[in-house]
Amino acid sequence: MKKTKLTIEGMHCASCEGNVEKSVKKVEGVNEVQVSVMTKKAIVTTEDSVSVDKLKEAVSKAGYKVVDVK
Amino acid sequence: MEQSLEEKEIKTWERKLIWAWAFTIPIMVVMYSGMIFGKHIVSMEIMPIVLLVLGFPVIFIVGWQTVKMGIRGFYTLYFNMDSLIALGTVVAYSTGILSFFGFQDYSGVSAMIMTIFITGKYIESKAKGRAGREIRKLLELGARKAVVLKGRKEIEVPIEELKIGDVMVVKPGEKIPTDGIVTKGGSSVDESMVTGESIPVDKTVKSPVIGATINQDGILYVKATKVGSDTFLAHIIDLVEEAQGTKIPIQKLADKITSVFVPIILVISLITFFGWLIFTKDVGRAVGVAIAVLVIACPCSLGLATPIALMVGSGIGAKQGILIRKGEAIQTMKEVKIVAFDKTGTITKGKPEVTDIHSLTGSKEKDMLTKAASLEKLSEHPVGKAIVGYANFKTYKSVKKFKVIRGKGVEGVIGGKKIYIGNSALMQQNKIPLLKVKVFLEKLQNDGKTTMIVAEGKKILGVIGVADAVKEDSKQAIERLTRDGYRTVMITGDNERTAKAVAREVGIHDVIANVLPEDKVKQVEELQKKGMVAFVGDGINDAPALKQANVGIAMGTGTDIAMESGDIVLAKGSLKGVVQSINISKATFTKIKQNLFWAFAYNVIAIPLAIAGMLHPVTAEIAMALSSLTVVTNANLLRRRK
Repeated sequence: MKKTKLTIEGMHCASCEGNVEKSVKKVEGVNEVQVSVMTKKAIVTTEDSVSVDKLKEAVSKAGYKVVDVK
Repeated sequence: MEQSLEEKEIKTWERKLIWAWAFTIPIMVVMYSGMIFGKHIVSMEIMPIVLLVLGFPVIFIVGWQTVKMGIRGFYTLYFNMDSLIALGTVVAYSTGILSFFGFQDYSGVSAMIMTIFITGKYIESKAKGRAGREIRKLLELGARKAVVLKGRKEIEVPIEELKIGDVMVVKPGEKIPTDGIVTKGGSSVDESMVTGESIPVDKTVKSPVIGATINQDGILYVKATKVGSDTFLAHIIDLVEEAQGTKIPIQKLADKITSVFVPIILVISLITFFGWLIFTKDVGRAVGVAIAVLVIACPCSLGLATPIALMVGSGIGAKQGILIRKGEAIQTMKEVKIVAFDKTGTITKGKPEVTDIHSLTGSKEKDMLTKAASLEKLSEHPVGKAIVGYANFKTYKSVKKFKVIRGKGVEGVIGGKKIYIGNSALMQQNKIPLLKVKVFLEKLQNDGKTTMIVAEGKKILGVIGVADAVKEDSKQAIERLTRDGYRTVMITGDNERTAKAVAREVGIHDVIANVLPEDKVKQVEELQKKGMVAFVGDGINDAPALKQANVGIAMGTGTDIAMESGDIVLAKGSLKGVVQSINISKATFTKIKQNLFWAFAYNVIAIPLAIAGMLHPVTAEIAMALSSLTVVTNANLLRRRK
C-alpha cells in the first residue's frame, strides 16, 4: 500500500472532480481515490506495484494534466 | 507549487476575460444599438456577418480550452461543465451561419454566454483563492533561508540544503528555519502560528523549537532535528490539505447528482428542443430554449457547496491551532451530546507541580523550600523534580549523606542537620510527630494531592502539596460545555480520589476512575449507548478511544503531536480548543447546509423556468454564474463570524 499525491491542472468544477476519480479508479491496483477541485490534488491509495505513470495516464485520459507528484 | 498554480489559474481567466469582453462589447453595441438608439449601426443585412466575425475569437480562441474540453466529453464520455457550455455556444454560433437561410441568429448570444461564463469563472477563481487564504499562509510561513554555523563562520544556506544536525543561528525577529533543539542562548518565541496562542513561549537550552515560529528577543543556536517534509509545519500542511479532500456525508447526494448531472441536462435539453419544435413549429425558438437549458444548469454550485465551506472552515480552524483531519467530524459534531475527557495530560498538565506550601509557625517558607529543594535536587523522582522546578534557585546548599528511601522519601544532611522529606510513613519511621500538620495533610489528600512533609531533626518544618495541576483554561472550557448543554465525563486510569478531586475542580460531574488503558474504549462504547460521544485525549494510550468515539479530539501538545488518532487535532494543548472546534464545526456545517440549499434551489427553480422558455439564454448564463458565486461568497462569509 502506498499513497501518492498528484497535483492536477485543469480541474475547475465539480464534474471534473468526478471525472478524475472515475478514471483513476479504473486503474488496476487503485484502492482509494480522493480528488479535490479546491486543492487541485488527488490523493491516491494504491498497491505498491502501481506506477505513477499509470495514474498520470488515467488523469490525462479524463482530460486533465498532472503537474506534480509527491 | 500550489500557490503558483492558483495564481496561474487566476491570471489565465483574467486574460481570457479581457479578450472576451473586448470582442463582446462591440457585439452588444451592434446587436442592441437599434433597441437603444432607435437606429442600427450596421444594416440588418451585414449584421450576421459582423456578429460571426466578432464572435469567432470569443468562442474558438478565447473559449477554445472550454470548447475543446467540452467536445472531448462527447467521445470520451467524461462530461463536465464545459460540455454544456461548449454545446450551448457552438450550437448558438452555428445559428449565425444558418441565419443566411432564414434561421434565427444566436451567434451574438453565443459570444455573450461564453464571456459571462469566463467572467463567472474569473470571479470564482479569485474567491476560491480567498477561501484558501489561511492554508496558503501556512505554506508561505516557512523560512526560505537559514544561517548555519560552520566552525566559527556563519553561512547562509537555502532551506533545502539544511541537514539534520546543522546548528542554525537565529537572531531576534527572524524565523526559526526548521524544527530543532536549542543548544545555546535563550529567547522567547512567538509560536502563535502553531498554537494560536499569542503569548511568546520562553526557550532556553534543550527547549524544542518549531520551524517557522518567530524568535523574539534573544539569539538562539538551534540544532536542526527535522528537515523538509518531516517538519511539524510540513505535517500540518499535509494534514489540512488531505482533510480538504475528505468527503462529508451530506455531500454524497450532491456528488451523486453532479456525476450524472451533465448527461441528464443534455438529454433534458434535447427533449426540450423537440418539445418546443413539435408544439410551436418554430425551430429558432426551440434552439434558443434548448440553449438556455444547457447553459443555466450548473453542477458547479452543487459540487462546490461543501468543499468550499470546508476549506474556509478548516482554514479558520488552522489559524486557531485547530486541525480538522476528517471533514466528516464537522457533520458528526452537531450530533454530539457527551464530551468525554482523559484526565492526565488532557485536563491536567500531565506532570506534577507544587500547588501548596504550608510552613509551620517558627519556620520560614523560604528556608524550608531551600532545604527541600537542595535535597530533592539529587532525587530523580518526578515529585522531587516538581519541588526543584518550583523553587528554581540559582544555587543550592550542599547535601551530605543523601539517601533515597524507596516508597517513602529522601533524607540527607544539610549544615550538620538531618533533613527528611517524604510521606507520613517516613515520618513515623523516624518517630517525628505529625500532629501539627494532620489537618492540613488531610485537606490536601482529600483534594487528591500528594503530600511531602519536610522535617528537620524531629521537628516538622512544613508540608508541600504536589499535584498534577489542572491546565489554566480547563475549568473555563468545561464550564462552557456544560452551559451549552453537553454532558461531560472523565475517563481516567487514576484512582478515584484524585480523579474526583480534579473533576470537582473543573466542574465535571461524571467520573469513571481506575480504568485500564485498554478499557477506555469500552467506556466510550458504553457512553455511546446514550448518545454521540466526542472523546478528548492526548494521543498514544488514548488512541483506541479516540478512534472509537464519534469525534476524536486529540491534544497534540507541541511537536509530539499524535496526529494519526484524532479526527480533530488541537495543536495547542488547551481544552478551549474543544469549545472552538465545536463552534467552528457547527458554523461550517450550517454554511454547508445553506450552500447546498441554494445550489439545489437554484437548479430546481431555474431549470424548469428555462425549459418553459421563460429565460433568455443570456439571462440564463448570468443566473448560472451568479449561483456559483453565491455559494463561494457565502462560504467566505464564514470568516465574519467570530
